[in-house]
Amino acid sequence: MIKVRNLSKRFGDSEVLRDVNIDINKGECIAIIGPSGAGKSVFLYCLNALQPHNGGNILINGTDIADKKTDINKVREKMGMVYQNFNLFSHLNVLENIILALVNVKKMPRAAAIEKADKLLEMVSLIDKRESYPDELSGGQKQRIAIVRAIAMDPEIVLLDEPTSALDPTMVGEVLAVIRDLAKQGFTMIIVTHEMNFAREIAHRVLFMDEQGIYESGTPDEIFASPKKPRTIAFIKKLKTFNYNVKSFNFDLIAMCARLELFCDKYNIERKTVNDTNLALEEMITYILHHCYKRLQTPNIDIIVEYGDIDKKIAIEIVHNGKPVNPFENIVFMADGEGSDTEDLGIFMVKKVASDINYKNEDGLSKFRIKI
Amino acid sequence: MNISTKKESTALVVTVSGRMDAVTAPEFEKSISDFITQGEKAFVVNLSGLEYISSAGLRSILACAKRLKEQSGKLIFSGLQGHVKEVFSISGFNGIFKIYESDAEGLKGV
Repeated sequence: MIKVRNLSKRFGDSEVLRDVNIDINKGECIAIIGPSGAGKSVFLYCLNALQPHNGGNILINGTDIADKKTDINKVREKMGMVYQNFNLFSHLNVLENIILALVNVKKMPRAAAIEKADKLLEMVSLIDKRESYPDELSGGQKQRIAIVRAIAMDPEIVLLDEPTSALDPTMVGEVLAVIRDLAKQGFTMIIVTHEMNFAREIAHRVLFMDEQGIYESGTPDEIFASPKKPRTIAFIKKLKTFNYNVKSFNFDLIAMCARLELFCDKYNIERKTVNDTNLALEEMITYILHHCYKRLQTPNIDIIVEYGDIDKKIAIEIVHNGKPVNPFENIVFMADGEGSDTEDLGIFMVKKVASDINYKNEDGLSKFRIKI
Repeated sequence: MNISTKKESTALVVTVSGRMDAVTAPEFEKSISDFITQGEKAFVVNLSGLEYISSAGLRSILACAKRLKEQSGKLIFSGLQGHVKEVFSISGFNGIFKIYESDAEGLKGV
């Protein structure tokens, strides 16, 4: 039904979408999730040509929407659009909002259009609001009317752009219930949403958009229960991250620790975890600087500290381009008095405070993942 | 890191607070070293105000202990809390050094 090939979209110098490819079948319900600014809404707007794309093709039932011979209004008739901010005509009452396109675009007789509108208003339990004006409705009611207006045109595809994001939390449920009903009726739907549980419940397929395209896609279980790619994992697990880069032997340990403290304070991370994280970072950086780089080299050590809002755990990822050495392979440290050999003491302590340590060397980079 | 001292009859009580890491540990080592040079041989190091210690701090402690051993001196610790207590435990330092709950007990143990 929808074929997208190598779609790209730019705003000036900023490339929002690059080489996006996807096929969407009739009757499928697609949920699009991802961080703000990932191009989710732009993708939706490109599908019905509200935003012209810069490259690639979008085929709706085999019709290339960018083809000069294509009557885009005919294509749009098959696509209902529901917007974040409802976009109802404020000077028209509910009934007039719904029948406007039916009468003017579809050329349906007014009486038939009213009959159809009334049926749909019954369906969303708003028949008693048919004479009301948008300003007299709550946010949830406005959005239910906007959905009715979209489906009144009997679209083959319904596009919903964050339909609950402008709503008071108490009104989200009533709108989701209406969308849930549409999904049951077999509409082909593409919904951009931040309601993760809802996406998981109704979607046949979930697209996680990031890095200018569809970063990862799969069934709701694949995306929500076992995401494979790092940015999806970070998003799904609501990871908070702290980043630091060490580029000198004289790096500012005090400044790094101060920033880490602020990060930990912000998320109310317990003191023991903060200290263990601090310890692991200091010991690892010290080890890498002294064992993986020569004094005249410029070190490049990337550090990401991830904190999972859900599991309340910290994972440290350290990537460096120095000599590949896994210090955890042969740790020799035994506290045997004042003459103890302390060469491996730091690494020994990291091993003690970590619950899991993983090391790999690939593409010339050494990567450590240390769970605290 | 802050270091303060109090001279008692049997030892010098050194109270350390803040952080003892790769940046500040040399300061501790130098401070103890200076007192040894001045003739002090017995130390009770109160770490109740120390919030964080890394292997750099432990190495400084070992270096001080080694220097004191050469002069038949003593290095005793008191008041370990939380993270510092845990680091002493996981590193085995609680087996190397005498550790007491309070300075008074530490002074008796000198």
